[in-house]
Formats: sequence, C-alpha cells, structure tokens
Amino acid sequence: MEGLCCGPGYASPSEAIRAPSEKLLYTIAIYTGTGIQKPDYLATVDVDPNSESYSKVIHRLEMPGIGDELHHMGWNACSSCHDDNSMSRKYLIVPGVRSNNIYIVDTATNPKAPNLYKIIEGSEIKSKTNLSGPHTVHCLGSEIIISFLGDAKGEAPGGYLNLNKDFEILGRWENSMGDIPFSYDFWYQPRHNVMVSSEWAAPNTFMPGFDLEEVGHLKYGRRLHIWDFKKKKPIQTMYLGEDGLIPLEVKFLHNPNSSHGFCGAALSANVIHFWKSENGNWEWEKIIDIDNEPHSDWPIPIPGVMSALLVSMDDKYLYINNWLHGDMRQYNITDPHNPVLTGQVWMGGLLGKAPIVNGVKVAGGPQMYQLSLDGKRMYVTTSLFSTWDNQFYPEIRTKGGVMLMIDCDVENGGMKINKDFIVNFGDEPNGPSRCHESRYPGGDCTSDIWL
Amino acid sequence: MKKITIANRNNITYEVKGNRPLLLELRALGLDLPYGCQYGGCITCAAKLIKGKVDQKSQVALNNRQINDGYVILCVAKAKSNCTFDIGVESHDKLYRNPFIDPLAPHELKSDIATDREIKDG
Repeated sequence: MEGLCCGPGYASPSEAIRAPSEKLLYTIAIYTGTGIQKPDYLATVDVDPNSESYSKVIHRLEMPGIGDELHHMGWNACSSCHDDNSMSRKYLIVPGVRSNNIYIVDTATNPKAPNLYKIIEGSEIKSKTNLSGPHTVHCLGSEIIISFLGDAKGEAPGGYLNLNKDFEILGRWENSMGDIPFSYDFWYQPRHNVMVSSEWAAPNTFMPGFDLEEVGHLKYGRRLHIWDFKKKKPIQTMYLGEDGLIPLEVKFLHNPNSSHGFCGAALSANVIHFWKSENGNWEWEKIIDIDNEPHSDWPIPIPGVMSALLVSMDDKYLYINNWLHGDMRQYNITDPHNPVLTGQVWMGGLLGKAPIVNGVKVAGGPQMYQLSLDGKRMYVTTSLFSTWDNQFYPEIRTKGGVMLMIDCDVENGGMKINKDFIVNFGDEPNGPSRCHESRYPGGDCTSDIWL
Repeated sequence: MKKITIANRNNITYEVKGNRPLLLELRALGLDLPYGCQYGGCITCAAKLIKGKVDQKSQVALNNRQINDGYVILCVAKAKSNCTFDIGVESHDKLYRNPFIDPLAPHELKSDIATDREIKDG
C-alpha cells in the first residue's frame, strides 16, 4: 500500500490521497481498569467490505502482562523518510501509559496477525531517562520521538524519549523543557523548523481520574508551546487561559509548507487555531466554541470534552468530537480563520441523542478517530481512558467499547454513520474490552509528516 | 506476620510479613489482583480496607475523600496490622464519581492541595 518510490509513505499528501483503500486496521483494546484480569491487546479489524469477515476483529495480539493501559501508538517510519529505501513502515510502536512499557509490534510479516517483535521495559526507560507516562509517538526521519507526561515518579512535566530505528534508547530528545509545566501531544512541521506541544497534566493527576477542582488548582494545562525543532528547545508559549483549558491534540495541516495548525481544548471544548505571522511570531485564536449543554441530572451544563481532533489529508476538513455530548463534527477549514460546520453525527454520549447505533447500545461517546487517506471513511471508538470512562460512563464496564464508521462526503461536506459497520468490543472472547486509537498499515491521517 | 482477609473472596486469608507492598506479597501468594503503574500513582490496584491499618504514605493517587472511604493503593501500601479488604473493581463503588455532579469539598482534595482538616486513620 506504499507509494511508488523507494522508502515508506508517499511523496506528498496528494499522492497519499490516491493510495489504495485500507483493508485492515489496528486498534488497541484494554482490560486495564475493567475488572477483567487479562492483558490489553492489539486488535486487527477487517475493514475490507468485500471480505467475509468485514467489520470483525480477526486477530488479537495480547501483551505479555496485565495493567499496561495501551492508549496511543505510532509507526516506526512515515513519509518523512520516503526518500530512504533502507526504511519501511513495518513496526507499530505501542506504549503502555501505566506500565511504561513500550511494545514494538511487527505488522509486516503477517499484516492480519501481527507479532510482538521487541519490548522496551518501562523500568529501563525510567532508569535511563527518568520518564514515565508515554503518549504520542512520531518518527522523524529514521528516529523516533515519544512524548512522556511525567518523570519516573509521575510528576510533570515529563519530556521526550528518543529511540533509534532499531528501537534502542538514545536518551532524552529535547535539550531543554524550558518552563513548560505539562506535556501531552506534539506535532512538527520541519519546513518551518517548528514543533508544537500541548498540555494534559502530570500522570499522578490524570491517571487516578478527573477532579474538576484540580483544574482550578492549576494541575491541568492551558498553554501551547512552540519549539525550535532543530535546537530541540521551546521558544514561545501561547497562554490560552479559560479558552484553552486542557489543550490536548495538536495537528498541523498536512501541506508541509503551511504553518497553520489546530488544537482541541478538551474542557473548554474550543478549537484553537495557531499560525506563524509575517513577523515570525506565532499567533493563536479561538475559532470554534462548543456550548455546554444543560442536563437534568447535572448541577452545571455538560462540557463537550473535545478530546481529539483530526485534519483530512487534503487539508479541507477538520474533525472534532464532543465525548460527553456524543457528537462528531466536520468543519470546512478552507479558510482556517473561519471554519464552517458541514457535518455532524451522534453516537452515545450523555445527552441521549443516539443511545443505540446500528443495534448496539453505545457506552461512552465518540472519542478517538482515524480517517482513511482519501478522507471518505472515518473509524470512531468510544473509550477515553479507563479511569475517566469509569467516572463518566460507568456502564462501559459491562458493555465495552464500540467502533463505528462514518461515511464522509469529501466533495460537498457531510457525515453519515455507515449502517453496515460496527465492531462491538462488548462481545470480545475474554469479556467487554475498550477500544481506543486506530492505525492502518498504509499510513493514515495522523501519522505522516513531510520534510 | 499479619493476617490478610479478602472479604469478597469468601473471606480467604493470607499471611504476609508487612515489610513489602501488599500487591507484591499477595500476588506472590497466588491472589490475582489488578495493577498498573506499581508506584502508587495510577489507582488501578485500589482496594477497600474494611478493618485494620496500613502504611500508604507514598501513594499519590487518592484524594482525601477516597482515603476516608477506606481506599488503599496496594502497590505501595504495607500491612501494619491484620487487615480485611474488598478487592477488585467490585470494591470500587465509591472510588469513581462524576466530578461535576458530585464535587469535592476543599478538604477532600488530594493531600498536596487540600485545606487542613483531619482525616480518619486509614
């Protein structure tokens, strides 16, 4: 499924859009925090509509121990080493947020049934780099950087682990964390020599669950950080204040020449747009503000909790979720200063708009999503994080998570839940599990960066 | 030696030394327990202490309300007396709460930000 040149990925975003459709996807599924004493696993889901096992889990790669809380993952290589024919997109790097272990999974030898290639022990990472709480995985050329949210004792701000292409620990990636208080997600745009990072909280704060009072005590983030990518140090802080409470996912446009990017502030339920101005400084503005919604059982209106965000490969559409409300939205961002709402669907959530989808009672709300390279199929899962699920959607313990697919209209805008696709992780052989982030073998809309 | 009784496992009992975290001692004796970070920060291994005394000074996951409700972080807690626990997610009835519907009072926050007010002995 890779391009015609020598290395992995594609020469450009427009070439990526023309790649063949995905036939498989990988999603992590967790038992950590569910009461089922089984390891978390990487599930292979058949997404080939011509296959007999379409819309089913066809393989489960169990991790060696329990309690990892698999969460996000990333590829060993992407379009950033498209010119390097010694590289290939073969391995998924799958961290355990709680265990600190990092699993290297070979997806190329048998794509339908990936196997465990290597384990980087959490204790080794702690002793060599004083880091814990791994989150986002990106490759940069032939090297890999992974954001960690805490030090070895779970205190902020954490930092970045640098692995070489053989998955050996090189040490810390950054030369300085500056005065950054928290870490979370990051994305980089090499032609502007820039990296942007966001802020969740210290592992010791967010892992046990969410207490609203801790936001007021400044235990959660509200800033974005601009880095000098080559010098590996932060150079500018954008203080978002009340508009940017808990800024989570950050994405640049895929066009490598663009400096425009977006961040979803989860608790404020706002989209923050940032860009480099003509004088070289980075600026930001709030471009989307989701109103809190009243609920008869809640003393205050429910915030959306915009926990993720994704840009289509053609840079035309921005997708956001409101995990507690239960909706997914599509915005046309042709003018990134003025997004236009073009699609919306409902699944689960606390507002009761779509409790049952495709015959399954949905526990949780739309949470993580991955978009096909052509922008037409979006796969959505419903679990956020075990402890936070347990607080807001306690029924997910017995119902498990689901994966749904949304058909996206790339010409005129619009979203529609596909009636033929649902993977109910409540029916898994070892009991209800919860699915989270997804990746396709051929690359996806949240992994590839162009140099 | 300290006698550890697991009330919600038919009152099965184990003898532990009390010099190592209960998670390690009990798992070594064959009790299957959930766990995650193994340094007291992530709450996955929380159990509910019904009777007895533990030392869990190094835990950083629990807020004061959870401590007052009897929760103990087994990966760092050591038994200081004979103890009776409920274990597993069945014991987590009060561990997880919707923070918007049921907010914490200032003295119920985690110890580093809570206002002073005496909490019950764990």
